[in-house]
Amino acid sequence: MHLVICAKQIPDPETPPSAFKIDSNAVVPAAGISPVLSPFDAQAAEAALRLKESAGDTKVTVISMGKESAQAAIKQVLAMGADEGVLLNDDAFEGGDSYTTAKVLAAAIRKLGDVDAVFCGRQAADWDMGQVGLGIAEDLGWPCAIVAKDVQLDGSALVVQRVLTDGFETVKEPLPAVVTVSNELGDPRYPKLQQIMQAAKKTVTTWGTGDLGLDASGVGAAGSKLKLVGLAQPQSGGAVQIIEGETPEEQAQGLVQALRDARII
Amino acid sequence: MGASVFGLVTAFELDRTGATREIFFNVQQPWAVYVMLSVLTGLMVYGIGRHATLWAIGQPTPGLREQITKRLTHFVRLGLAQEKIRRDRYAGIMHWCIFSSIVVLTFVTAQVAIDDDLGLHFLKGPYYLFFSFYGDLFGVVGLVGVGMALYRRYFDDFHRIRWAERLEDHLIIWGLGVILLSGFALETLRITADELHQHPDWAPWSFASYGLALGLDMFKFEEHQLLAAHTWVWWGHLVAAMGWLGLIVFTKLDHIFFAPINAYLLRTDSPGRLTKIENIEEREVFGVGQIQDFTWKQLFELDACVRCGRCTAVCPANIAGQPLSPMHLIQDLKLHLADVGPAVQKAGHEGHDVRAVSPLAMVGEVIKDETLWACRTCGACVQECPVMIEHVPTIVDMRRYLVMDEARVPATAQAALENLEQRGHPWRGTTFTRTTWMEGLGDVPIFDGSQEYLYWVGCSGSLVERNLPVTQSVFKLLREAGTSFGVLGQEETCNGDPARRLGNEYLYQILAQQLVETFKSKNVQRVITNCPHCFNTFKNEYPQFDGNFEVLHHTEFLAQALQGGKLKAAHPVASDVTYHDSCYLGRLNGVYDAPRQILDFIPGTNVTEMKRNMSRGLCCGAGGGNMWQEEVGARRVNHVRTEEAVETGATSVISNCPFCIQMFEDGIPAVQPQEEGRMRAFDIAELLDKAVFGEPAPRS
Repeated sequence: MHLVICAKQIPDPETPPSAFKIDSNAVVPAAGISPVLSPFDAQAAEAALRLKESAGDTKVTVISMGKESAQAAIKQVLAMGADEGVLLNDDAFEGGDSYTTAKVLAAAIRKLGDVDAVFCGRQAADWDMGQVGLGIAEDLGWPCAIVAKDVQLDGSALVVQRVLTDGFETVKEPLPAVVTVSNELGDPRYPKLQQIMQAAKKTVTTWGTGDLGLDASGVGAAGSKLKLVGLAQPQSGGAVQIIEGETPEEQAQGLVQALRDARII
Repeated sequence: MGASVFGLVTAFELDRTGATREIFFNVQQPWAVYVMLSVLTGLMVYGIGRHATLWAIGQPTPGLREQITKRLTHFVRLGLAQEKIRRDRYAGIMHWCIFSSIVVLTFVTAQVAIDDDLGLHFLKGPYYLFFSFYGDLFGVVGLVGVGMALYRRYFDDFHRIRWAERLEDHLIIWGLGVILLSGFALETLRITADELHQHPDWAPWSFASYGLALGLDMFKFEEHQLLAAHTWVWWGHLVAAMGWLGLIVFTKLDHIFFAPINAYLLRTDSPGRLTKIENIEEREVFGVGQIQDFTWKQLFELDACVRCGRCTAVCPANIAGQPLSPMHLIQDLKLHLADVGPAVQKAGHEGHDVRAVSPLAMVGEVIKDETLWACRTCGACVQECPVMIEHVPTIVDMRRYLVMDEARVPATAQAALENLEQRGHPWRGTTFTRTTWMEGLGDVPIFDGSQEYLYWVGCSGSLVERNLPVTQSVFKLLREAGTSFGVLGQEETCNGDPARRLGNEYLYQILAQQLVETFKSKNVQRVITNCPHCFNTFKNEYPQFDGNFEVLHHTEFLAQALQGGKLKAAHPVASDVTYHDSCYLGRLNGVYDAPRQILDFIPGTNVTEMKRNMSRGLCCGAGGGNMWQEEVGARRVNHVRTEEAVETGATSVISNCPFCIQMFEDGIPAVQPQEEGRMRAFDIAELLDKAVFGEPAPRS
């Protein structure tokens, strides 16, 4: 079996909001913010690797579209246990949206040839669009199950537990298929040092538009369908409301009422 | 005692030149002693040889030929003079009584043998009388020691020495009692039958036996009865003594040899330093997952353990009911060595795979993961161990195996490690940046190589809300003292300490090497740190990476500034405080005085020490990477320590470490649920800030 993990490198999502500034509709991160692997993509990798362990005789390839620095994200997934890495790097890919990203990734998956399943994070933790997994499935004409908390192989199909607001549902999709994975899956594994060192020694293949047979006008900023209209930084603030009440029970009731009024519960 | 004084007085009035006795008095087969001694020697050689083949499966121990003078000093002070045993006074007296008695009485016995068998006959005249006296004296001293030991083993409330009790513990102490008492019985019988009547002026020198002989004499036994009894007791005494000596290499008595040797083997560098894994990128195994991966010194010291329980009694994890007892850990490893050592040795000898030998995983089954994670690396066990076992490096070696070889890490610790890898600090989810603390302080100088000191703020000092005011106080005090200093601001990254303590030596080395390069490129010579963990890392561990800097903790610098008059603590700060020694400043680096000197300078501040203080101080619970772990066990260490602080009646607990402050802040509401009159936790710099500037220290 051949599984593919799509991994994106993003600015550290845990950077305090105050460290970002907005300059003419572009986000400017403060100096010293390190790029990291999108946490949902680490969970996607974990799901694929669990499947590899249970299925046996499986190859796992990690692909990432990004700058040269995205090698680090690829190496991280390789250290976790993926076998091969491909970096999709081309100046033409810059400035794209979910549509062009899905297009490029789908082209790479097609080029890999014998892929049985694709694992994406439920969304990238920078823009939180959650479109790329679905886009890849659309482009390839494969089924897609989103927001998975468990993925199992059943013959030539995937059995996926999908997280819903009030529980979960189990769906079965025939291979080849796409899955987007949610954090409910559990913590991604911590690589052994031996694996980190082996990953460091692995060569990552790089493909550009030419390798993928793509036209530069159809990818990146040129091919984007989404137009950014404006950006604004959210204002945050706080206010304190003291809930009065004679007894703890009354106070609790007051608190519940206040939370209901604020539509929090 | 009356008898001995009498003896002393009369002896000098009498003719003493003829005093002597027949050696092996009344005994027909004295050569039997030598047969037994030969057997005993053979047994000892065999026993030690058996131990030695097990130690030999360990790895080479570097550095043993360096620092010979220091090692010999350890050998004499810790091995022979037994300085550490005295840290428990009762045990110190007890052990000295038994130790000195065995040494002197062995000397006495040896003199008897030399006197007779080499035909020297020097046991005569005044020396014979003196010999009789000190022989009896140390017999009594030995009995006092044995009595103290018996009391502690059987009548003291459940004592730490019973935490891992074995049959040999009873055998050894009763055996010693039998030897000493039978020795007195022999002397008593001999004196009653012989000296008492023939040389009544010599007899009182053996004061204790003389007193007993006077009593026995009243029963008017026939001489042949006394002599027959003497023969029986003599054999009994001999067999008991030989049997007891035979126990040495097969029981904990082997500490007679192993403890002084282990004192020689003891590290000569700071106890705060962990070993560096050299050429880590070329290794296949990183930590210690199998017994033969320890150094032979680490295996040797397992045999020195006497199960006294001192380590476990002071272990913060154990005190809080968490799953770590350093003594049991050492004992479990010792048993495991005995279990699998011979097979490992055989496999290695025959060229087979030694890694396939053990049926049990040493890390995970013999020693549980949670045991290794519970260690605070506070060094209390190492500090107390009377036979100089170093538990902490052994525990960290196994953690290294867990993290680097097995990737088996508790989730919260893993998050801290990943955060270090990705963000260069362990504080996941912080909403602060490394420059947040600078707001409102005016110009904060950035270190550019022209200043004398680098003020190293550290991750906690800049990214944890509670620690920000401490950083601000230290900064203001440094500025007030006219110090030439700068900070790195956004360029600071973690120096790697949490990674090393959590067992990720690889990550530590990457972080350390980067920072040493940064320091060198900026021409850093002197560093002042906020955090004792950073302090220890720079001071004791960076020399392993060719980073040699002069490092001061802020308490040391501020104490100097106060003494030199550069800072004036003019404003009284009326408060009752207690002072908590952080392990990494106190026990592991010996800085106990500087912080207390600062407290002395602050007018109006009254200090009450906690029951555990200075080198006996209890860890706050955060050390060894436990700041980032969920605690497993009956209680939390910080609650225990907070209770001790509250017991002093102080209104504030003062410390010097960002972790300690956080742990107290967390522990106080648990120990004092009522908000009113609740204790508060401050860094000493915050207190000094109030005394120097006369304003309340900023507090969130």
